[in-house]
Amino acid sequence: MKKLLVSYMTIGYPNEEDYLNFIKKADELGTDVFELGYPPDFAKYDGPLIRKSYSKVKSVFKNFSELISKSRNFTEKKIIVLTYLESVQNNLDEFLENVRSHGADGVLFPDLLVDFPESYSGYIKQISEKRLEPVIFVSPFVPDRLISEVSALSRPFLYYGIRPTTGIVTPVGIGTLVKRVKNLIDNRLIVGFGLKGDDDIREALSAGADGVAVGTAYIEAFEAVGLKGALDVVKKVRNILDEFE
Amino acid sequence: MQQKIHRVTFLYLKVNFFAMIEFIPRYWYNIVPDLSRPLPPPRDPEDSNFSRIELLNSIIPKEVLRQQFTAERYVKIPDDVIELYSLAGRPTPLMRAKNFEEALDTPAKIYFKYEGATHSGSHKINTAIPQAYFAKEEGVERVVTETGAGQWGTAVALAASLMKIKSTVFMVRVSYEQKPGRRTMMNLYGAEVYASPSEVTEYGRKELRKNPSNPGSLGIAMSEAIEYAINKGYRYLVGSVMEVVLLHQSVIGLEAINQFDYIGETPDVLIGCVGGGSNFAGFSYPFIGSKRGSRYIAVGSSEIKKFSKGVYEYDFPDSAGLLPMLKMITLGKDYVPPPIYSGGLRYHGLAPTLSLLVRDKTVEWMEFSETEIYEAAKLFARTQGIVPAPESAHAIMAAIKVAQEAREKKERPVIAFNLSGHGLLDLSYYQKMEAK
Repeated sequence: MKKLLVSYMTIGYPNEEDYLNFIKKADELGTDVFELGYPPDFAKYDGPLIRKSYSKVKSVFKNFSELISKSRNFTEKKIIVLTYLESVQNNLDEFLENVRSHGADGVLFPDLLVDFPESYSGYIKQISEKRLEPVIFVSPFVPDRLISEVSALSRPFLYYGIRPTTGIVTPVGIGTLVKRVKNLIDNRLIVGFGLKGDDDIREALSAGADGVAVGTAYIEAFEAVGLKGALDVVKKVRNILDEFE
Repeated sequence: MQQKIHRVTFLYLKVNFFAMIEFIPRYWYNIVPDLSRPLPPPRDPEDSNFSRIELLNSIIPKEVLRQQFTAERYVKIPDDVIELYSLAGRPTPLMRAKNFEEALDTPAKIYFKYEGATHSGSHKINTAIPQAYFAKEEGVERVVTETGAGQWGTAVALAASLMKIKSTVFMVRVSYEQKPGRRTMMNLYGAEVYASPSEVTEYGRKELRKNPSNPGSLGIAMSEAIEYAINKGYRYLVGSVMEVVLLHQSVIGLEAINQFDYIGETPDVLIGCVGGGSNFAGFSYPFIGSKRGSRYIAVGSSEIKKFSKGVYEYDFPDSAGLLPMLKMITLGKDYVPPPIYSGGLRYHGLAPTLSLLVRDKTVEWMEFSETEIYEAAKLFARTQGIVPAPESAHAIMAAIKVAQEAREKKERPVIAFNLSGHGLLDLSYYQKMEAK
């Protein structure tokens, strides 16, 4: 089966034109799902690069939903909006309706299980009632029983964050971790959060991941080379994924 | 390696202790996959312009860091580490305290796991050995750490010496002055020891400028050790709080399970004292994970009211804020603990997994004062012959409480506590208490 490429981008980064061009071209180059970062109050589990990208767009844009609509004009692939539940929990219904009406297909809250372990199922219900898909984020810090339990509720896949934070490489046994989690679930598994370099991606795929999520690498390339650099990363990752078809 | 272990087994066989070497487990146990809820990950503070998680890469041995973030329930102990465990005094005895039971006039059975029987005199060697081993594996010539009461520094000094690498220890100034015996022991094992705050780091110099007679704290010493390791390209060894330390310490509980199984007994109540939480966790987690026992009691000091007054929030494990924040029960990184003699308990935080288990009430807690634990230590020394470290005497005091409760309720529970270290280098504490 074709391996999935989930492309993360902070909404509006680095500027509206490059951002929309990125969505358009990344779609053409083989992105299967877009994960769009909606700036939270505090991106607590993200690394410095993603945090910086949020600060940057917050200083430029006021209306991020509008940018989701514009993104929708350039892709028919699924759009998952990523933000922290902590930032939107007080007006969650409004937030969900808003992103849904602007073209989102699902939402992902990386703090859902960690910070709301008692009430996560209520939130998942609330998300589904708004006709959005709940993508659930799990990690090596989530107990086995809970991984199995939430895997059944996560659509269109389960997201496994392999490292404690985005963009920061710490020594982890990717193969072992992915194999472990594959044994616990009956769902497609996307691996991301700190995946770095070709070897990491190949190791995750060899161990059974159904796809990978890439984000910091795009932002790094944007910073260093600009749009072309970010698109080169999309091409490169797509090629690696296609080795595993 | 295996051959050597079998040779040792054979020697034990000849003196009818066949099972002894076999008590040492081959795997460490990690409780994270078995928790009831997710463990909040380490993170950087909101205003951070660098990644503290990334910083760990340059100070902590790679394999230690990998184990810190593992999701595996069981992690293989390298054969070389098992051999070093054996050299350093493992397996440690599991003993029944019959005389102590009689003195308490309790129907309860009381067992203790005696970690003071290791050559460094406490449980700290259980993680010092693997950390020094992994540091040596990656070609590091020197390891650096801090120590409060001195048990951790002693363990690191010995582990480094066994691995044939050098060690530097920043020792809290008040302990450095009060416990020359500990310092001597570290020097004897080959460590370079500085009183902290010291003149050898920027952080130490800054503290001394603020207060030239600063008595020091574990947080300051930790900050100095990390700064020293970063600047010199050495590796920093972690004494408590981090999950990898708790993982290594699980050798205590796993070994105790093997010993209990051997004698056909299962404890109902597991007790340990708590500074950062590693000896309690190391002893009790394998019992919690395998659903052995029904009560798990963490014991702190009532002079440092971590359990009764601590708040569950993200905080730095070190005073300087160089390490990533951990979500834990804490009195605040700037909290200055009173100068009680149980230096190992003078710490502001509690390991994240233990904080979760305390919050979901899997683990209960007690707090005792220096006066109370002195009485407990005295009774234990007089009935069982072992002079306990004052930290470990907190666990003894909790065992007394549970045993008395059993007498009142006419129940016969099996109590087991971890006697985390001996007190032969803490005699000045006993002198002081005697004089009171």
